[in-house]
Amino acid sequence: MGSIRFENAGKTYGSGPGAFQALQNVTLDVTEKEFVAIVGPSGCGKTTCLRMVAGFEPVSSGRVMVNGQDVVAPGPDRAVVFQQFALFPWKTVAENIEFGLRNKGLPKGERKSLVEGALQLMGLESHASAFPHQLSGGMQQRVAIARAYVLDPAVLLMDEPFGALDAQTRVVMQEELVRLARVQPRTVLFITHGVEEAVYLADRVAIMTKRPGRIKEVVDVRAIREAEKWDDLERIEDVMDTESFIHLRTHIWKSLREEKGASK
Amino acid sequence: MVSGYAGATLAEHVWHSLRLVVVGFFCAALAGIPLGLLMGYNRPAEALINPIFSLIRPIPPLAWIPLAILWLGLGDAAKVLVIWLAAFVPSVINAHTAVRGIDGALFAAARMLGAPRLRMVTEVIIPGALPMIFTGLRLSLQAAWTTLVAAELVGALMEVGFVLNVAQQDIYPSMILVGMVTVGVLGWLTTKGLVSVERMALARWPQGRS
Ligand SMILES: Nc1ncnc2c1ncn2[C@@H]1O[C@H](COP(=O)(O)OP(=O)(O)OP(=O)(O)O)[C@@H](O)[C@H]1O
Ligand SMILES: [Mg+2]
Repeated sequence: MGSIRFENAGKTYGSGPGAFQALQNVTLDVTEKEFVAIVGPSGCGKTTCLRMVAGFEPVSSGRVMVNGQDVVAPGPDRAVVFQQFALFPWKTVAENIEFGLRNKGLPKGERKSLVEGALQLMGLESHASAFPHQLSGGMQQRVAIARAYVLDPAVLLMDEPFGALDAQTRVVMQEELVRLARVQPRTVLFITHGVEEAVYLADRVAIMTKRPGRIKEVVDVRAIREAEKWDDLERIEDVMDTESFIHLRTHIWKSLREEKGASK
Repeated sequence: MVSGYAGATLAEHVWHSLRLVVVGFFCAALAGIPLGLLMGYNRPAEALINPIFSLIRPIPPLAWIPLAILWLGLGDAAKVLVIWLAAFVPSVINAHTAVRGIDGALFAAARMLGAPRLRMVTEVIIPGALPMIFTGLRLSLQAAWTTLVAAELVGALMEVGFVLNVAQQDIYPSMILVGMVTVGVLGWLTTKGLVSVERMALARWPQGRS
């Protein structure tokens, strides 16, 4: 379980003369347990795509489906990791992670063991009773990821989750996410401005046009990752040094550059 | 110095004033905070209530005194009504603004985490608004005390013993002073009480937020 399907999805904000077309005919299939990254020029509608899957924004035309069902409202089957973490400041780390489980109506004992598992998964055991503001940005985003993972969602939606982190922390989190994807593979839709991040993390990278956004090209990274055995390399910088990585990165860069040029 | 303040002891006066303020303040908080929260969270409710509220808001609480006396007579009820009006306004405004100031991502996160309606109120809206709700409560308490003094004065003017009152005030300036100091001390003490409640209630909140 965990497929996402955009079928000629369009989005227009507002109506009448002030209407603003953000997306036009977006078509994309994310299969179960696949990690797809979306890159595109600023303002092309990446966040809008994600918000439609999350159920925060209705589609204006076409369809957006999860597991073959049209999305109607937000729900814990589609967990979101926000750029600014969006943790409840008045809840401890453990309480933040537990919140979704309580809403699901799980009994206390079960919640406790699930929260412990999630804390362990993200290396947060010693921070269980800390409040978010007592943690670094990287730690806070770990909590947000734990809060999403613990729900056992069909799909995981991440909107520039590492955008607010410093460069070093970002690299640690990227490696962490790759590790997570191996221990607990999920369907992930990941939005980023970072081409390298997209190539490093994703199975496929979808490139969007300038607005109104469409999917312009989908680059298969997985085939190359497997052929070139990136997973044998321990560190992100080793992967980024390989010729195959550089080749993909440059290809995506050029494709994006065309969009930026076209907007002038 | 213990007895002889307009026919009652100082302690009796103090107790009486304290009761008026506390009743007015609590009723104002109880009505004002939920109303402010509702306006902050529910657009239609805001559209309905805000215009009425904006109209009433600029009227100084003391301007209600004649009406209050007309409706409720010359007694404590009229005074409580005026104190209530004065304390009501800051409670509403701050609760309203507080909800508006809650990070929208927190609402999105709560919806995504499947929070039912009631839990949205109790675990997102109220905690999110709480620091500013307390700011409003402090202003409300202050307004309640200020209005009490004014209400007592105006009330006294309307009373038959008007002349006597003025005479007394002229003859015993020390009594006026004692009254002022007493109100000052009471205001300070009740504010201190409120601040310690606030400190306990906000123990979980990051410091430096208001
Ligand atoms: N609620 C809204 N009402 C009106 N217009 C909106 C709304 N949300 C987004 N837009 C507009 O729609 C377009 C796409 O926005 P979106 O946030 O999806 O872009 P994005 O690709 O995520 O941008 P960025 O790279 O800057 O994050 C933008 O031009 C934006 O101004
Ligand atoms: Mg965005």
